[in-house]
Amino acid sequence: MEALRTTTGGQLQRSSPRSHLLLIVLSLVAVFPIYWMILTSFRADGELYSASLLPGQVTLDHYARAWNAIPMGRMLLNTVVMAASQTLLQLMTSVLAAYGFSRWNFRGKSILYALFALTWLVPFQATMIPNYVTLTQLGWRNSLAGLIIPHASSAFAILLLFQSFKSFPLELIDAARIDGATNWGVLWKVIFPNLRASIASLGVLLFISAWNDYFWPLLVTSHLENSTIQIGLQMFLSTDGNLWGPLMAAATTASLPILVVYVLLQRQIIDSFVKSGLR
Amino acid sequence: MIRLAHVLLVALSLFLLAGLVVAQDYPAPLTADQNVTIRFYSYNLGNAAFGPGTEKLIAEFMEANPNITVEGVPVPAAEMTARVQADIVAGTPPDVAQLIFDGLDFIATNFNAKPLETIVPPEELAAHFEGFSPNGLQLGRLNDLTYGLPFTFSTPVMFYNADLFRAAGLDPDAPPTTWAQVKEYALQIAEATEAEGVHIAGLGGFDWIVQSLIGSNGGQVLSADRSTIEFGSEAAIGAISMWQDLRLSGAHSQFTDAEITEAMFTGNLGMYLQSSAIQRTLITNAETNGWELRAAAMPAFGDLPTTPVNSGSALFMFSDDPARQRATWEFLKFVTSERGYTIITSDIGYLPLRPAIVEDPQYLQEWAKANPLVLPNLEQLTRLRAWVSYPGPNWRQIETILLESVQQAVTSDGDVATIMTDAAARAQALMP
Repeated sequence: MEALRTTTGGQLQRSSPRSHLLLIVLSLVAVFPIYWMILTSFRADGELYSASLLPGQVTLDHYARAWNAIPMGRMLLNTVVMAASQTLLQLMTSVLAAYGFSRWNFRGKSILYALFALTWLVPFQATMIPNYVTLTQLGWRNSLAGLIIPHASSAFAILLLFQSFKSFPLELIDAARIDGATNWGVLWKVIFPNLRASIASLGVLLFISAWNDYFWPLLVTSHLENSTIQIGLQMFLSTDGNLWGPLMAAATTASLPILVVYVLLQRQIIDSFVKSGLR
Repeated sequence: MIRLAHVLLVALSLFLLAGLVVAQDYPAPLTADQNVTIRFYSYNLGNAAFGPGTEKLIAEFMEANPNITVEGVPVPAAEMTARVQADIVAGTPPDVAQLIFDGLDFIATNFNAKPLETIVPPEELAAHFEGFSPNGLQLGRLNDLTYGLPFTFSTPVMFYNADLFRAAGLDPDAPPTTWAQVKEYALQIAEATEAEGVHIAGLGGFDWIVQSLIGSNGGQVLSADRSTIEFGSEAAIGAISMWQDLRLSGAHSQFTDAEITEAMFTGNLGMYLQSSAIQRTLITNAETNGWELRAAAMPAFGDLPTTPVNSGSALFMFSDDPARQRATWEFLKFVTSERGYTIITSDIGYLPLRPAIVEDPQYLQEWAKANPLVLPNLEQLTRLRAWVSYPGPNWRQIETILLESVQQAVTSDGDVATIMTDAAARAQALMP
């Protein structure tokens, strides 16, 4: 049976089985690595390198070994706190900066904007050492502050939001001002609700980026209990052989929080990506 | 008059210098009530496979030295140099760090690593080095100073699957001793079974196996005075040509090291020249997948003696504080003692640098009986050659050039001489 879909003009169009087939194949390609990760995490040692698509003997041993080898719960908690805090701080700073850049014309605005853009192009490796030295002087090593504060703002987020803020109709802002709204009121009562989709989709990107951060937590923390799950996963890898079973068990566990967030907010995430045009 | 003043000045300088040498201060041994904490960066620590053994070393040391606390910091091997460098810049270097041998020159020159000869009185140092493999002691030395104390290290060993040998009509009790035999045996295995014949690890990562091959063919990667790159020499070209020939003939697998390791685990590779550090993982997988694992010494180029090069790491001291230097030395002494190497060998899986403990019932005798695979590895210590670290800030790039050129030569039918001489010329341009 052919399915129906709505075009942008509101007309119903028949979608072909061929396009459905293509989408199903692409979905399988996307899902397969996740399936393989979960499958491997439940395989017995003797079947770890089996090419079978189904598990033979199912075991929870790898999960037990992974939880015993690293402080998984603590590392997951640290990662959630770090990623959520970084995302909130970056959204806050980027909304304010984008609002400032789009709302007012001031001397040196272009230069300042260009400098912001340039910082995006500076690789992490170039700023790593000065940031680390500053952080050491502040006594923030081995702390959540050390993980979060250096990433409190993001040039990428500011540039992206600036484009959205710039396209916001000035008439609406003027109308709000005539109604007596303050600058703060204009931002939170007029602009923010209308750009929620763009901000939310940016938030998703920032959260994933923070969740996957590896090198900075590695540099800042000295103990696994203070570190993040990405560092924990590394502990199952070595040049002399990888522990695939526990690694896959740890990776499956580590991806659960993100998966739960995605399942709960699936509709909003997809909507926000479509509306903001982000890919 | 001026001449007399010069002579007096020189004499005074010599007098002062002599006084300095005679009165060189070494950090004093710690008193019982002197509590010291040292920070130890280790890439074995925290690792799910090697971590427990390293934690055991630390725990036993602290039990024996209650006034010294060792704060172990797990840092993955790939990021170790960057982490130590960042901490040095931040003014908080670790007291001791486990670093890979190929960075020896750079670490000694740029990281202000402390040679043991400046920390420990000569008689105490000599007493501790008694019983060490003489070749092994050279691994962390540069310009006659011991910057790194060999900690965890291994040599290239030819692991082989005895069941595949039998299936191909070969005698597993008579493994190949030359590369010509390796080719012959590998072709037989590939023809008679579904498995791959042979694989030499080391086309990526680090160049210690490449250095082993070049050295075993009579060459070297760097001249003795450390000024000239020599991996464009005839001996080096000959060694890499052998590798290329193995691959082109079908005796050698076409897989990457990571892929072929998994093939070896599942019993689908006949022979595998790889770090002996992989031995524990291989034993586990051979038992799980039901095949018999054996090990032999690295094969030779005809009648030439092999020169296995070590992989692995040494412990480098960075502390400036005399008390922490002394505490660090106490820690180094313990981890490289008979008991320390017993833990390193039996719990972590590396070689003991004190070969005698393998026959000592107090240490590794029982373990060695139960793990005979370690014997070819130990035997190679007598021919061990130190992993050459390239001088100057471009050392890593020089190593990369060598590895990439070997990869290009081995995975193609290109002219090995052209590839290697070109690589040597490019590397020479990066020398200080």
